[in-house]
Amino acid sequence: MKKLLFIILSVAFLAGCDKKIDEYPASSNGVDFSNYVAVGNSLTSGHSDNALYLSGQQNSYPNILASQFQTVGGGAFRQPLIGTENGVGFTPIPGGLYYYTKLALKIVPDKDCQGNPTGTASLKPAVVVDNPDQNTLKQQLFSPPTVAGPYNNMGVTGATVQSIFYNRLGDPTPDGHPFNPYYVRFASSVNASILQDAITQQPTFFSMWIGNFDILQSAVAGTDQLLTPADTFAKYYPLAVGALATSAKKPKGVLANVPDITSIPYFTTISASLPYNSVILDSAQAAGLNILYTMYGHPDIHWQVGQNPFVYVKGDGSWAQMKPGDLLLLTIPTDSIKCKGMGVADPTAVPLPKPYPIAGKYILDTEEQQVIQARIAAYNAVIANVAGTFNLALVDMNGYLKLFKTGMVFDGVKFTTNFITGGLFSTDGVHLNPRGNALTANYFIQAINAKYGCSIPQADITKFKGVIFP
Amino acid sequence: MRRITILLLFIGITASTSFGGGYQVGLHSMRNIGMGLIGTSLTYDASSLFYNPGGAAFVKETWSFSGGVSFLMARTTFQPKDVMEQFKFEHKINTPLYFYAAFKPTKNLSVGLAVNTPYGNGLSWGKEWIGKYLIQDITFRAFTFQPTVSYKFKDIIGIGVGLIYSYGSVDLNKAIPLQGSTGDGTLNIQGSTGNFGFNAGIMVKPVKGLSLGIDYRSKIEMKVKGADATFTVPTSLSAQFPNNKVDVMLPLPANLDFGASYEFGKNNQWMIGLNLCYVFWNTYDSLVFDFETKTSAVNRTANPTLYENKLIPRIGAQYRMNDLLTFRIGGYYDPSPVKDDYLNPQTPSVDQIGLTCGLSVQPVKGLSIDAAFLYIMGLERSGTYSPDNFAGTYSNAVFTPGIGLTYNF
Repeated sequence: MKKLLFIILSVAFLAGCDKKIDEYPASSNGVDFSNYVAVGNSLTSGHSDNALYLSGQQNSYPNILASQFQTVGGGAFRQPLIGTENGVGFTPIPGGLYYYTKLALKIVPDKDCQGNPTGTASLKPAVVVDNPDQNTLKQQLFSPPTVAGPYNNMGVTGATVQSIFYNRLGDPTPDGHPFNPYYVRFASSVNASILQDAITQQPTFFSMWIGNFDILQSAVAGTDQLLTPADTFAKYYPLAVGALATSAKKPKGVLANVPDITSIPYFTTISASLPYNSVILDSAQAAGLNILYTMYGHPDIHWQVGQNPFVYVKGDGSWAQMKPGDLLLLTIPTDSIKCKGMGVADPTAVPLPKPYPIAGKYILDTEEQQVIQARIAAYNAVIANVAGTFNLALVDMNGYLKLFKTGMVFDGVKFTTNFITGGLFSTDGVHLNPRGNALTANYFIQAINAKYGCSIPQADITKFKGVIFP
Repeated sequence: MRRITILLLFIGITASTSFGGGYQVGLHSMRNIGMGLIGTSLTYDASSLFYNPGGAAFVKETWSFSGGVSFLMARTTFQPKDVMEQFKFEHKINTPLYFYAAFKPTKNLSVGLAVNTPYGNGLSWGKEWIGKYLIQDITFRAFTFQPTVSYKFKDIIGIGVGLIYSYGSVDLNKAIPLQGSTGDGTLNIQGSTGNFGFNAGIMVKPVKGLSLGIDYRSKIEMKVKGADATFTVPTSLSAQFPNNKVDVMLPLPANLDFGASYEFGKNNQWMIGLNLCYVFWNTYDSLVFDFETKTSAVNRTANPTLYENKLIPRIGAQYRMNDLLTFRIGGYYDPSPVKDDYLNPQTPSVDQIGLTCGLSVQPVKGLSIDAAFLYIMGLERSGTYSPDNFAGTYSNAVFTPGIGLTYNF
């Protein structure tokens, strides 16, 4: 009897007393998201861990955005997916390109300066395949995507504000014209340009986050000489946005500006643990180095007892001692500093030790940083101006990433701009990891919602991966 | 023999619940549950040992036993602030229980033992949900054992005091945002502890039919020393996350109860009563995990909770139709002790309205089969756990049928 009563009441509860909370009130507020097209560089293409690979693309911020748009009328979002999870990246070498796979964190045994194992190990990014077969990777890169176009994600690794206009950027014929292998793989024709391929799709909504590579192609090489000139940026940026905004469907859209280099771990990580003045000398060492540097024609570089700055090669070829604020880049071979006297003198040189300044490509000194930061400010002024002209949403990624320098917490996860442990960037220290892309997509959504009065739900960042530890 | 059987039956059932403001549970006597959880001024049976030791000496019969179990079924819903997906979970059926035995060696003296589960928390959001880095599941149980003496002066004033020993255990799981090839890292904490407190009360019956009671149950600091903390993290990070011991302190808050009730009508058929319960929640200002082996990644962490003291008003009535049947009804309002910016999924506390009804059947003199039914309507509430930037709207509903026996002779 009691049992029966219990069962009856239980059923009544489960059927009738279910409390409901109103669901998220998703609304487009009249904005047409049915055909969203993204224009940009490697950050947009889903390039990550120093390579283009399948799951990196699947976790690109435009793809995350598109899946959120689907709650407010967004359509399918096609990406030029590559058929490899190990990924492909390349670097120019004499006579062609050297291809490599993506990076992943690995446990690497430590060695002393004689090359003997010390018995300890470190966690470091390393390529997932050592000495990969060059033809295989080349073929993977140049093969057409695994899905047919046209492609909503027109992000191309290495795209600059000017190169998105280039016809034949996707034509690999080696006749001296500029081409980009990452575009060759999915250009609609050999004569196509990135911008034209985007416009031809008649987007109903677009995003453009470009200008990063205009800065980074120079900054990652430790120089201020390869930056896209400010007047070039000021000329092409409005043209690109105008072409998109006035295309067939008169789409609404969102623009994002360029983050500061000091928000990017590639530029900040090494100097955070290796101060500019880490050379400790006793009096005999200092005296010896002063003689040595005088012998080699650099009497102006003075060594003293105690702490001394490293010596490096400036942009103009002259030698100088590092100053506070100069940044050592992530690519610097720290083994050479530890074992070969890089930044001081090479003790193994015969017959005498030889001065061994740090190559300029491993350093952004404060003067170079100032030039770069002024250029970023110039670009960002153009971007803000153009967003106003065409009445588009503007995402302040520059300001947003700066907030992460001191840490931001979302859903119980703390994010910083620290390399690996910060949870935001991938193992290359420049591109974001999937969770970083989800945060980016959410910040885009906030800007779009604010500008157009829509209610697009944000992505659940806890569903995305961060850096994967072995 | 039969008494022992009843005791064993009830002790054998695990108790873990989560409802009410914070983690306090009010299911301690089917008769009282039936009338809005009032009880501070009532002297019908041995449950007075818990509700107000000052009232136990007023129970007329030499022996009084009361025991019972509730079947607590809850559903909680969470809507993240900016995310589409809604998260729901149904608690597994929890069974808070009670058992009381009182004996009167003399007319004015009563001694007894109260065993019940006044605090607890048990919820499981699942392994994969948006709050997994705050909590995946938690089970917190506290049994209390309270030997009690009660003495009355004439039939006007009773005083009583009980020594409380509370034994509690905790088991919680959460994800850690460090991912390996198999997914997130995890942390499991398991431990148990016991500590003492007291329960003291005064009962006054100034005029026929009127009862006034006041009761204070002290805070009990449940300090779990050296609970097992088991980390599962990628191999490369295992040195920073050694399996560990951890100290956790969870205070069981003090309660100050005031109750008044009045019997009237033919043969005192009717009774109405009220109860005001002041809960000293502010003792729970943070949940601290202090790990024994500290590393760069594992340290002392304090999660601020900043609970606020709250007053719970309750009202109830009883109608004794005849020697066979008694009916009860009641209700209460239980405000959440959690501030809006500290609302968290460990104890998703919302303001609640409780509606109750109950029935006793007395087949033979002295023996009563007591049934009660409690429906708790959680009022929808939005908030953020600021330290973790975790925001959303919570709602819950709890449905609790229960059954018990009382035997006075």
